[in-house]
Amino acid sequence: MQADDVFRQQLLGVIPRLRRYARSLVFDASTADDLVQTTLERALAHWHQFDQRRDLLVWVLSIAHNAHLDQRRRDARLSVVDPERASADQDAQGGDPGVDIGLRIDLVHALGRLSPEQREPLLLVSVEQLTYAECAEVLHIPVGTVMSRVSRARAVLRQLLDGSARPAAGPHLRRVI
Amino acid sequence: MSPAQRPDDALLSAWLDGEVEGADCARIQAWLQDHPEDAALVRLWAADRDALRARFSPALDEPIPARLTETLQRRGGARRGPVRAWWTQAVAAVVLLAVGVAIGALWRGSTAPEQVAAGGRTWTQRAAVAHAVYAPEVRHPVEVNVREGDVAQQREQEAHLSRWLTRRLSVPVKLFDLRDQGFELVGGRLLPDGAGPSAQLMYQDSMGMRVTVYLRKAADHDATAAFRFERQGDLSMFYWVEGRCGYALVGPQPRERLLALAQAIAKQDQMPVAASAPAR
Repeated sequence: MQADDVFRQQLLGVIPRLRRYARSLVFDASTADDLVQTTLERALAHWHQFDQRRDLLVWVLSIAHNAHLDQRRRDARLSVVDPERASADQDAQGGDPGVDIGLRIDLVHALGRLSPEQREPLLLVSVEQLTYAECAEVLHIPVGTVMSRVSRARAVLRQLLDGSARPAAGPHLRRVI
Repeated sequence: MSPAQRPDDALLSAWLDGEVEGADCARIQAWLQDHPEDAALVRLWAADRDALRARFSPALDEPIPARLTETLQRRGGARRGPVRAWWTQAVAAVVLLAVGVAIGALWRGSTAPEQVAAGGRTWTQRAAVAHAVYAPEVRHPVEVNVREGDVAQQREQEAHLSRWLTRRLSVPVKLFDLRDQGFELVGGRLLPDGAGPSAQLMYQDSMGMRVTVYLRKAADHDATAAFRFERQGDLSMFYWVEGRCGYALVGPQPRERLLALAQAIAKQDQMPVAASAPAR
């Protein structure tokens, strides 16, 4: 049975957020859109499994997570582009003027160094602003695991950005935006 | 967590994400007020969070590449068929043949009736057709009318309807109580389904708008239990399979209204028979 037009319209509506998530996972814009395309294809193929009472974005992000996992298993070397190069590519495509480019490379570089198990919950909670329960649903892990992984990811990210295990309070607060 | 004890990083991090409620939340706030070094740590996390958002959110405003919208428009090659929802055409045909032009107007713009075959349709199509045929009926909307006579006669008709449909369908048929949603049971009828009998329950609100619930014993291949929604023209449908029974709720109501009805039905369906409220 073909996916109906209502469902296709709903999918169209979540593409921007799906693209943002894919971009934050794999950095390279074209590779990210490959992931989005795979996700859309799978969503259309399995549309009858979608329960209309649920949040479509959460369901689609869950498919994207699985697709990303499959991709990493197939070829770990290609799934994540060197973050510094990707960031430079993106800046060349036109970043916001007035933003600290050096710092942004730092941030993406640090993010790329997190393990995928830490990076995904951090991105879903921080960037996609999912609740821990929604994040748990996307990643098929318990809520408590989401909580500990997000916390761990924050600590590691801080460590990478700061070069110190524990940031001290006070005057040398780093400018982050 | 006692007031004197430091909340661990996981708890502070969860607090930042708005995941800590009640007394714990108040205690963490108090702790952060008294401990500037921890407050600074949480502020750094918040700054990292904002930086991540700022870094990736421009992707939201980028134009969607054509290949992605094309993916959405693509139809499976082998399964290429009617592009409009399949049951529209079935409904259009039956309405034109059986009921006439008045109801046919509901389906303006749907496809030509010669495309529609009489058999080989799925049960949800039959549910939509049954709605389109019987819902407009003024004198004979149902076979067993539970609104005629006095209260005692109405109760008797309800009991009869439920027993009769349960016996014929070989699955328990409950008369769902949708009065909280503004719908009174009108009655029900027995219908032919693909391989056996099915039932249609009809409800009506104070404006005379009707919804129908189509029930059938689930076939072995009816695996899915999820709510599915379809809409075409003026009619909407939620259908799902629960336990041994397939349900299709059909009506002209907006999707949210119909969903509320579908959820009420699914909820009552899960109650044991003795505990479910009487239909009237």
